[in-house]
Amino acid sequence: MYGGGNVFEPMKVKELIDEDPVLLKEFEARIDRGEKIEPTDWMPELYRKQLIRMIEQHAHSEIIGALPEGTWITRAPGFKRKMALMAKVQDEVGHAQLLYSAAETLGKPREKMIDDLINGKSKYSNIFNYPAFTWADSCFISWLVDAGAIVNQLANAKGSYGPYVRALDRICKEESFHLKYGHDCVATLAAGSKQQREWMQDAINRWWAPMMMFFGPSDKISVHSEVLIKWKVKMASNDAMREQYLDMYVPKILELGFTIPDPNLRRNEEEGKWEITEPDWDEFKRVINGDGPCNKERLAVRRVAEERGRWVREAINRKSENYIVPLA
Amino acid sequence: MENQAAKELLYKMADDALIIGHRNSEWTGIGPMLEEDISFSSMAQDKIGHSWALFKILNKLGENEPDIVAFTRNAEQFHNCQMVEFPIGEYNFSLVRHFFFDLAEYHRYEMLEDSSLGDLAQLARKIKGEIKYHVLHAKTWMKNLGNSTEEAVSRLQGSLNELYPMALGMFEPSPFEDQIVSDGIFGGESELMSKWRSSVMEIIDQTQLELNIDGDWNPLYGGRSGVHTEHLQPLLDEMSEVVRTDPAAEW
Amino acid sequence: MESLDPRVNRMKIGGFDGELHKEAMDQLGTYEVFLIPKDGKPLESVGPVHASDAEMAFVFAKEAFSRRFECVAMAVCPTASIFPSPVSEADISAYDLVTIPAETEGENRQYEVFHMNKRGKFHKHVGSVEAIGDIDALYKGKDEYGVDKPKNVWVVPTGDFHFNAEEDSDLWATLPEKKYRDAIFYKAGEKIQRYKESVNS
Repeated sequence: MYGGGNVFEPMKVKELIDEDPVLLKEFEARIDRGEKIEPTDWMPELYRKQLIRMIEQHAHSEIIGALPEGTWITRAPGFKRKMALMAKVQDEVGHAQLLYSAAETLGKPREKMIDDLINGKSKYSNIFNYPAFTWADSCFISWLVDAGAIVNQLANAKGSYGPYVRALDRICKEESFHLKYGHDCVATLAAGSKQQREWMQDAINRWWAPMMMFFGPSDKISVHSEVLIKWKVKMASNDAMREQYLDMYVPKILELGFTIPDPNLRRNEEEGKWEITEPDWDEFKRVINGDGPCNKERLAVRRVAEERGRWVREAINRKSENYIVPLA
Repeated sequence: MENQAAKELLYKMADDALIIGHRNSEWTGIGPMLEEDISFSSMAQDKIGHSWALFKILNKLGENEPDIVAFTRNAEQFHNCQMVEFPIGEYNFSLVRHFFFDLAEYHRYEMLEDSSLGDLAQLARKIKGEIKYHVLHAKTWMKNLGNSTEEAVSRLQGSLNELYPMALGMFEPSPFEDQIVSDGIFGGESELMSKWRSSVMEIIDQTQLELNIDGDWNPLYGGRSGVHTEHLQPLLDEMSEVVRTDPAAEW
Repeated sequence: MESLDPRVNRMKIGGFDGELHKEAMDQLGTYEVFLIPKDGKPLESVGPVHASDAEMAFVFAKEAFSRRFECVAMAVCPTASIFPSPVSEADISAYDLVTIPAETEGENRQYEVFHMNKRGKFHKHVGSVEAIGDIDALYKGKDEYGVDKPKNVWVVPTGDFHFNAEEDSDLWATLPEKKYRDAIFYKAGEKIQRYKESVNS
C-alpha cells in the first residue's frame, strides 16, 4: 500500500538537454501512442532515475507497511481474523517482493535498495510511522489506508513502465481482498457493542489526519511535474487522488454511524470538490524527515530483521550463481 | 469411550497446529529474506487452518465452538507438545522445529488417510498437498543450509541438539494408545515415531549435520497431559487479548 | 523502549535509537517463474524470485506467485538461461528485429519459446523448437510461430527448467478453498444492515 506524495529527484534541466534528441523523441512518441516501455528500451536517464525512486519508495512502503498491522498479528480475534490478518500482512511483503523486482529491472539491485532504506537514504509512505494502538487501528489500516493505496495504485497501473504495470496489475487484484476484509472488520465493530464502536471511532480519530496527508501536498505546477506527467510516471495529482478518496470513502464511513474528526469537512457541490481542514504540512515534513512517532522503531525493526537474517542469506549465496538483473 | 480416544487425538493435533502456527506467524514481516518471509507465513496460515478444521471435527463430536475452545482455555487445558510453545528464537531454531514438526505431520496425516474416523480421514486426504509443500520447504532448507557456511552448519547443529528431545515429546504415548490403534483411528505414536526417525535421518545424512538418534535422549513429555513450560500461558494471554475483552462479541 | 507490538519487544532490539546502518550484501541469483493457471492454458511468466538454486527458487516461487487464484503447475529457470529478442511494437514482429546470424555449430537441443504479444503484458509459452544455439532458436521460433508477430520473444533451453512432477499438482489442490484470502469471502453488507437496523429500532 502506498499513497503518492512521492519524493521525486530534483530535476536538473541540463539532464534532459544532454539526451539524444532523436531517441528522446522516439521514446516520447512511444508513450504518446500508449505503448509501454520495456527494460531493454532506450530511456532518458531522468526517467530511469525517477522510476527507480518511485518504485523503490513504493516497495519500502510495503515492507514497512507490514509492521503497523503486524502489531496485531498475534492478537487477531478468532480463527477467521487470525488467518486473514496473516495473509494480509504477508501480501504486503509479497508486494514489496514484486516491486523491488520491478525496480531491479532498471538496474538497481534489491540489496542496494534495502541498504538505502535502512541507512535512511530513501523514503517510504509517512503513514506507517504512526502507531496502531488497538485492534481497531489495524482495521482502519486494512480498510481505509489500503483504500487510499488502491486509489494511487490504480492510477499508477496505467503508467508507462511495463514491469511496474505488471507488478501493479497483480497487486491491485490482491488489494481487493484487503479492502473487503478491512471493510468487513470495521463494519463488524460498527454493528458490535458500545465498546467496539468506541474503539473504532477512536481509531478513526487518530488516523484521519495522517490519512489526509497520505496523498501528499498539492502538487506545484513545475517543469518537473509536467515532464513526469508527460512520461506517464506520475499519473494523477495528489489533490485529484485525495478528492477521489473522499468521494468514495466519506459516505461509507458515515454510513456506519461514525464521525469524521474534521469540522470543516464538506462537499462543495458548486465547485464539485471537497473542503477539508488544511493538513499540517509541517508535521508531514517532520515525519518524512524522521521525526514521527514510530520512524525510529520501524527502521530499527527492519534493520534488526535484516541483521538476524544475514547468516541465512550469506549461507545460501552461491558465489557461482552470478546476480543477473531480472528480465521483466 | 471411542469418542474419548478420538478426542484426545484431535485435541493434541489441533493444539499442536494452533500453537506452532501462532509461533511461526510471528515471523511474518520480519523474516530473513522476502521470499522466505512469504513462504513461512503461508505455512503458518495452513497450520492455523488445520487447527480450525480439527476443532470443527471436535465440535461435531460435541465440543464447544472452535473460537471458544481455541481462544478461551488456559495452558493446563492445552494438549500440544511442549516443543511448539517455545519462543521463535533465531531462525535456525524455528527452521529446525518446523523440520521436525512437519516431517511428523507428514507421516501422521498419511497414516490417518484411512482412519476409521471419517472426517479425519477426509481432512488428511484433503491437506496432503499442503503438508507435501511444508515438507518440501523444510527439506530444501535443511539440505541447503546444512551444506553451506560454517556459521549456518553450527547454528543448525546447535538447534538439532536442543530440539531433538523436545521433538520426541511429540510422540508422548496416549493413555488410549491401544484402543486408538485397535479401533482403526490411528496407527499409534510409536509407529509414527519410527517412520519419522527414518525420514529425519534420510535428510540429515545428506548434510554436514550429525544426529545420534540412538543416543540417550530424554524426551520432553508432559504437554499431552496439560503440563507446559512457562512460555505457553503468556502466549495464550497474548493470542486472546482482544477476544477476552468480550468473548461473546463478534469480531 | 516498549513497542506496541509484542513480537518487536521479543526481538530485544534494545532501544530504537541505534545507528542506522546495514552493510551491503552480495545479491543472490535471480530466477524467472512461470505457471499454468489451469489445465489447457499455456505456461505464463509471472515474475522473478531471488534464490540460491533452482530447488529453492521453486519453493519460494510457489508461495510468492501461486498462494491464491489458480495454479496447476509451475516452472522456474535461471534468469541467465533466458535469451530475449529485441522488443518491437505495433505491427512489427520482434522476430524481424533479430539481425545477427544464427550459430553455425553446436549440438541440437530443445528450447521452449515464449511470446509477449503486447508491450506491458506477460510472456506466454507458444511451443518448443530444436536448435543448436540461442539465436538459432529465435530463427526456428520465427519459422514455427512467427505468424503471431509477438513484440518480444524469449527462448530457454528446456533442460534449464526446474518444474514439479505431475503427481505433485496436488500442491495446489486446496487453493480454491483458501477463501479467507479472497475478496468474495467478505460480506460487509449484512453487518452494515445490522448496524442500520439497530439504529432504527
